[in-house]
This record gives sequence, C-alpha cells and structure tokens, in this order.
Amino acid sequence: MMKTFSIMLKNEMKLSLRGMDMFIFAICIPLVVLIILGIIYGNKPAFDGAEYTFLEQSFGALITISICAGGVMGLPLVVSDYRNKKILKRFKVTPVSPAMILSVQVVIYIIYGIVSLLLIYIISAIFFGFQMSGSMLQFLGGYLLVILSIFSIGMMVGGIAPNTKIAGVLASILYFPMLIFSGATLPYEVMPDALQKAADILPLTHGIKLLKAASLGLPADRVLLPIVVMFVLAAICIVISLRFFKWE
Amino acid sequence: MDEVIKVRQLSKSYNGLLAVQELNLSVKHGTVFGLLGANGAGKSTAIECILGTKISDCGNISILGVDPRKQRKQIFENVGVQFQEANYQDNITVDELCEVTQACYKDAADYKALLKKFGLPDKSRSHVKELSGGQRQKLFIVLALIPNPKVVFLDELTTGLDAKARREVWKILSDLKTKGLTILLTSHFMDEVEALCDNICILKKGQSVFYGTVQEAIYSSPYEKFEDAYLWYSDEEHSNEEAVNDENL
Repeated sequence: MMKTFSIMLKNEMKLSLRGMDMFIFAICIPLVVLIILGIIYGNKPAFDGAEYTFLEQSFGALITISICAGGVMGLPLVVSDYRNKKILKRFKVTPVSPAMILSVQVVIYIIYGIVSLLLIYIISAIFFGFQMSGSMLQFLGGYLLVILSIFSIGMMVGGIAPNTKIAGVLASILYFPMLIFSGATLPYEVMPDALQKAADILPLTHGIKLLKAASLGLPADRVLLPIVVMFVLAAICIVISLRFFKWE
Repeated sequence: MDEVIKVRQLSKSYNGLLAVQELNLSVKHGTVFGLLGANGAGKSTAIECILGTKISDCGNISILGVDPRKQRKQIFENVGVQFQEANYQDNITVDELCEVTQACYKDAADYKALLKKFGLPDKSRSHVKELSGGQRQKLFIVLALIPNPKVVFLDELTTGLDAKARREVWKILSDLKTKGLTILLTSHFMDEVEALCDNICILKKGQSVFYGTVQEAIYSSPYEKFEDAYLWYSDEEHSNEEAVNDENL
C-alpha cells in the first residue's frame, strides 16, 4: 500500500512539475511578492511603535499564496480533469481505490505549500532579518487548519463541477479575489477601512489573521473568530464534497 | 472453478431506454468469449455492468466466483481491463503509466517484458499521446496484462491496429489462453472473432439474438460466411437493404 502510494506520488509529482503552472503559481509568485514587499518596506516597523517589522507581519500572509494556488486552483482542476479523462474510472478496476490518486494530489499540493513556506522563511530570515516571535506549535496548528479549509474548498469545487470548463471558471472566481483581497499579496494593513470590511468576508482573510497572530505571538483572544470560521468552512465543504462527489 | 464469468438476467437502462436487457453469459476457464453487436448495441454497457463501473438495474454477476461490486479489491488483483476510450494523464510517458499500473497490484508482471513482447520496447520514454494509434492500442493491451490476470476484458481489442499487428496480438492472446487465461472481448472484426473466440453472444438493441459457437452461428443462418451470418443476426444487412430500397422508391 505504501509502495503504491510512493510510486504514484513520485510520478504525479513529475507530471505536476512538467506542467509548470504550479511551480510558477505556488513557488515563484510568493517569492516575487516577498521580494517586492521586502524592497518597499525593508526592516521598517509595522506601524509606529510596533515591536515587529512590516515584513514579519506579512510573513503569515505570504505563505498562504501557495496554499491558495494549490487548494483552489490546482486541486479542483486536477480532480475534474482526472474525472473527465476517466482516469478515476480506470482506478476503479484495479485493487487500488480512486481515492488513493486524490490523496496523492492533496499531498502534492501540501508539498508545494511546505516548500514555499521554507523558501519564504529562509529568504526573509537571511535578507530581511525575519524572526518568528510566536510559538512554533501554534503556528503549525494554524497552518494545518488553513490547509484543511482551503483544500476542502478545492475538493468541493472539483468534486461537484460538472466539467473541466466550469471547474476552471469556479477556480478562477475563487482564486483571484482570494489572492488579491484577502491580504495574501496586497497587505491587509494597507487596505482602506471599507476594503478591509469586504475582505473579512473571504475565508482566507481569517486564515491569514490566524497565521499572523501565531507568527507574531499576539494574544490568543484575537484568534477565536478566525479559528471558528476556518473550522466551519472546512466542515461545510467536506460534507458537501462527500455528499455530492462524482467519480464519473 | 470452471465458470469464471457468470452473468444472470442483467438489465440496464438509461432514462427509461433499455441499453441491455436480460443478458445471460457464462465464460469458462481458459476460453475466449466474444461479445458482438453493432455500435450502440450495448456491448460496452454490458462490460461496464459486469465490471461494476456502472450499476445494473437488476441481475446477478460474478467474476471468479465473487460479486465485483462487493469485493472490488480482491477481484481486481486478478482482472485486467482495457476500456474502449483511452484514459491517461497528459504528458505521461509509457514508462510512467506502466510503472504506476504495476504498482497497483501485489503480484504484477514485468511490464518491460510485456512491452518487448508487443514490440514497444524502444517507446518506454515516449509520451503516450505521441504514440501512433496502433502503438497506443498495443500499450493498452499491455496495461490490461500487467496484473498477471486470470481474466481479461478487452473492449474493441484491435481497433486501430494494422493487419500484421492484429495477427501478432492474436498470437499472444492465443498463447496466454493455452496457459489458462480467460478472455472476454468485443470486436468489430469477424476474422478476429473466428480466429479467437470459443463462444460468442450477438447483441442487438441490448438483447441477445445469438449465443453459441461461431460454427453454430453459421449453421443456423442462411449464409456460409461468418461475417454474413453475423450481419444477418445483428440485422445490419437487413436494414441496409431497406435503406437501398427506400432510395430506389
């Protein structure tokens, strides 16, 4: 079983890298945004009298760009593509479950997320003096929760979209607003008040608040709402995808 | 276990339209069974219901003595399948597709030997989508044989192959049959059916109109050649004549 999984993972990873798009969206784009923010804000404090820099504040946002690309773009497209090409059907007539190939995909996008996280950490630590002030454990917990909820959106979209075209449209509708308005690329703190209120509707905004609080070591009373939002979102999406998922 | 595939009273309809009606089949160990019929006669639907990728409305099905829907994991260790339409990932190479397929089974065959047997050894690094139609068809037969199956389902076995390649495939399958492999196939080539099949079933609009050997099919028809007999059973000939008559009128 583990052998099957690792051979599939190896091959699907190769196919994904051969496709190039995830390498660009999940690995390169976050680094580009990091470097731009680093050049603009350098080591300036986040606000007058802040104990942390603007870049340290943005760390929790930048690492979600990759999760967002993999979760709401990569995952739904690959799920609907593999169903459309009847690859899932082919696995139905082997001893291996089609669910295996879907879990391989989930792992691939987690790998993209972690690679991006490490690269952002290393580059911002070396070049922009980044230091993690919060608890590592809380940060990882928040990180996993964000992955769970964003990926569950992707699974739901991929599972219920009737064809690849609609999956592509839905993925774009989710991906681009989330990328720009949830604070992943454009920092939440520089948005005008009205835009901040609008951004609060997006689920990723709450995920980013959670990660920022954890990485900056801010008091825990500010994270209750984001945690609840993320969990509720994940629960809804998982229930819908399990209920309505189509293998063919 | 003499009866490898057993189908009793299989029916399947789509939106009230009957695709397969009360089909009965029995395929014995080490024999080749041909499921024949015009396009849309219900062959692929029947195969998919037998494999459990489609849910039949009613009927009893067993492969190697068990119900494929209930014991999928156990059965498909020993069953190879080639579907009519190709299903593989974009940009996947022959090697990768074979490796992943091999990894699905506990006791798989060496795919490199199979590729060699089918004349594809130098293609292992090629992308599947870059193969010619015939090479790809051969590859899909290879994939169906990778599990070291006891039973193999081949839907439109040699479509896209040239005359020589078809003969090669027949030879390989006949050899495997003498080693005890059971085969259920569909085909539009009657020479192929005559060369390979021990028993056949001809479907017409989802119903079985003939069941028996190729010889029996010829004897009970007014014709001497199997292809003519087949067309007589499946009524393609008859409706063609009607069409011609209509035109003349």
